Amino acid sequence: MASRWANDEVDKAEELRRKREKEEKKRLKLQKQQEAEEAARPAKRRRLSTGDENDQVPQTQEQESERKLLRFDGGSWGPCRHTSNFETLNHIEEGSYGWVSRAREVSTSEVVALKKVKMDYNQDGFPITALREISILQKARHINIVDLKEILSGDDPQECVLVMEFLEHDLKTLQEDMSEPFMASEVKTLLRQLVGAVGFLHDNYIMHRDLKTSNILLNNRGQLKLADFGMARYIPPSNAPLTQLVVTLWYRAPELLLGTTTYGTEVDMWSIGCIFAELLAKEPVLQGKNEVDELSLIFSLCGLPSEKSWPGFYRLPNAKSLKMPRDHRNAPGFNRAKFPFLTAAGVDLLFSLLSLNPEHRPTSKEVLGHSYFKEQPKPKPSEMFPTFPSKAGQERRRKKSPHAPKRGEAPGLKNVDFSSIFATREAEEKGAGFQLKMA
Amino acid sequence: MQPSPLTNPLATVTQLETSGSQLDGIPTDLEDSIRFAGARLTQAAGMLLRLPQEVIAQAILVFMRFWVGPDGGSLAEFGAEQVSAASLYLTTKLSAYPKSARSLINVYAYLSSNPTTFANLDHLQQKPPETSYFVSEGTYERRRATLFSTEQRILKTLGFQIQVNLPYTLCITYLQALDVFTHPRASELAKRAISHLNTALLSPQMLYLTHQPTSLATAAIYLAAREVNIKMPEVEWWEVFDTDREELGFLCVGMLSVEGFAQQEREKWEGTRVPLDVKDLEAEMKRRSEITQD
Repeated sequence: MASRWANDEVDKAEELRRKREKEEKKRLKLQKQQEAEEAARPAKRRRLSTGDENDQVPQTQEQESERKLLRFDGGSWGPCRHTSNFETLNHIEEGSYGWVSRAREVSTSEVVALKKVKMDYNQDGFPITALREISILQKARHINIVDLKEILSGDDPQECVLVMEFLEHDLKTLQEDMSEPFMASEVKTLLRQLVGAVGFLHDNYIMHRDLKTSNILLNNRGQLKLADFGMARYIPPSNAPLTQLVVTLWYRAPELLLGTTTYGTEVDMWSIGCIFAELLAKEPVLQGKNEVDELSLIFSLCGLPSEKSWPGFYRLPNAKSLKMPRDHRNAPGFNRAKFPFLTAAGVDLLFSLLSLNPEHRPTSKEVLGHSYFKEQPKPKPSEMFPTFPSKAGQERRRKKSPHAPKRGEAPGLKNVDFSSIFATREAEEKGAGFQLKMA
Repeated sequence: MQPSPLTNPLATVTQLETSGSQLDGIPTDLEDSIRFAGARLTQAAGMLLRLPQEVIAQAILVFMRFWVGPDGGSLAEFGAEQVSAASLYLTTKLSAYPKSARSLINVYAYLSSNPTTFANLDHLQQKPPETSYFVSEGTYERRRATLFSTEQRILKTLGFQIQVNLPYTLCITYLQALDVFTHPRASELAKRAISHLNTALLSPQMLYLTHQPTSLATAAIYLAAREVNIKMPEVEWWEVFDTDREELGFLCVGMLSVEGFAQQEREKWEGTRVPLDVKDLEAEMKRRSEITQD
């Protein structure tokens, strides 16, 4: 590999060459202009002396007709159609956000997914979460993001149904029904599509804030699509305080658990790390029972934060109630024994995604450029993906995983009785390496 | 495909031909007056709520979209004031500056306590008694229910198309591209152009619903440059910004005509109120029919 110095020299030479080229072009242009001016001068004089403007007019018209202007089609708007244009085939799922069912459009026989938004009309009128989800889905058109087709209204004026493309699977149910985990090449394809979608969102100033396997859909052509934007929002202009009540517990980043109100796209990257690990292990890796339990699971997987690895850590609101051991030398680092079949590059990527310090987590662009995707086995082309029987058509879900947090139910770590949890923790997990103290 | 951040959905020809209010027999000139007054009301309320102009402009456009087309809202069913309030409420909710229903209702109560729609300055300086715009708890509950149901109707009528791309930042970008900021009076030019964009929001021709932001920004710059007397390139520079000569001319005339229209409206409604709710509209219709009968 060439050294930095060599690189610089090449750059310099390149720059010089470009500069020269530019100057040459400028000179030519000037010359042309002068020539054109000289040519135009007599014409002007002629126009002044006689009235033969007719010569000029068709010429300019000709020029104008040559120029093609860009025309943008922004579409139009019309009232919502009625739900009776669709017939429900079967229910798929009920979540905190509403009900999802499979349906067919009567006129075209197209199969779609209908998502009926729960309308708990409160003090604020039309639910802001639904409004955000709709407006973000309208803007975020991407091959790996579920397509919002239209919005329906029903007989009840409060009814509001989102029409979305139907995909056969969600990653969570699919994994539960598979006998073997995804192959390494398949994990890469899935992860790459997921990171592509999340990167697109971040580029457009959108945070998803509820990435988890049950929100990731997969069709029978190996195409992954991100869904459920009920928690998503635009990144606010400045450091406006945000709610820390986001992301389903098992996928929630440590800074959120510690109560930060200024966070960014890094929380999504943490969730991606959790999903990556889940794809490898075929089950969620951090299944905490509550906030404290989740934190202890995180620390036992990723090691303990220190002032060096995460400088702002102790200043986070809930960090004060954690008692960390003084001696960090014996504290274990990232527990890679959990992923025995992962290559060194894979471990490096997973480890960086699950960095406790949000600043150490890679951006989606950095993830996509990671050597993990370049080494063998290469990502499997999505056309080569195996097909699976679709559960979404026939059955309801069996296992329950925790839902995304609801608005206004901020428990805060202060209300938790630390002593009892601590007691059980200590008994079963001697080596966890940190303690909780009463606040 | 991702929708372009430079485009808006535009009203179709059918939508421009007939409106919901027309189908209910409301004369076009009255509809124009009410829409104009409603847009001004939205602007005033937005300013009292200390909202940035981008948010106010978006609210005005949602308000304008609501009335357009045979499927659009009808003034016989919805008062302009309630639609204005709901548009503003809806827009702020999605913006970085959400406002409570209570603040909104208070502001609209204050504005409708003005005895005339086109108030003169002396009038505004006399502080009206607090009792004229006090909103009791019972009234608040009722108005809030109306606010929420109107919000719902706006969303359904527009098929949730409440996104608006505005020409303001585009206008500044174009001025930069034209390299005018080296000129000593450039800020005057920019201000003038932005004023034209604000004026066009109120246009009875609904310029924002029929033209893309690129063209609106270009026309505003063209007009402003002529008024401030700053020379623009002597070529068809507007074509660089995807606007042809015909559209430019149309928009310039449209933007300039708003002033005359506003003058006429002021004279027409001197000392009275433009009917901004259903009851007042019915009274106005009755008054008009009595005049024609005499």
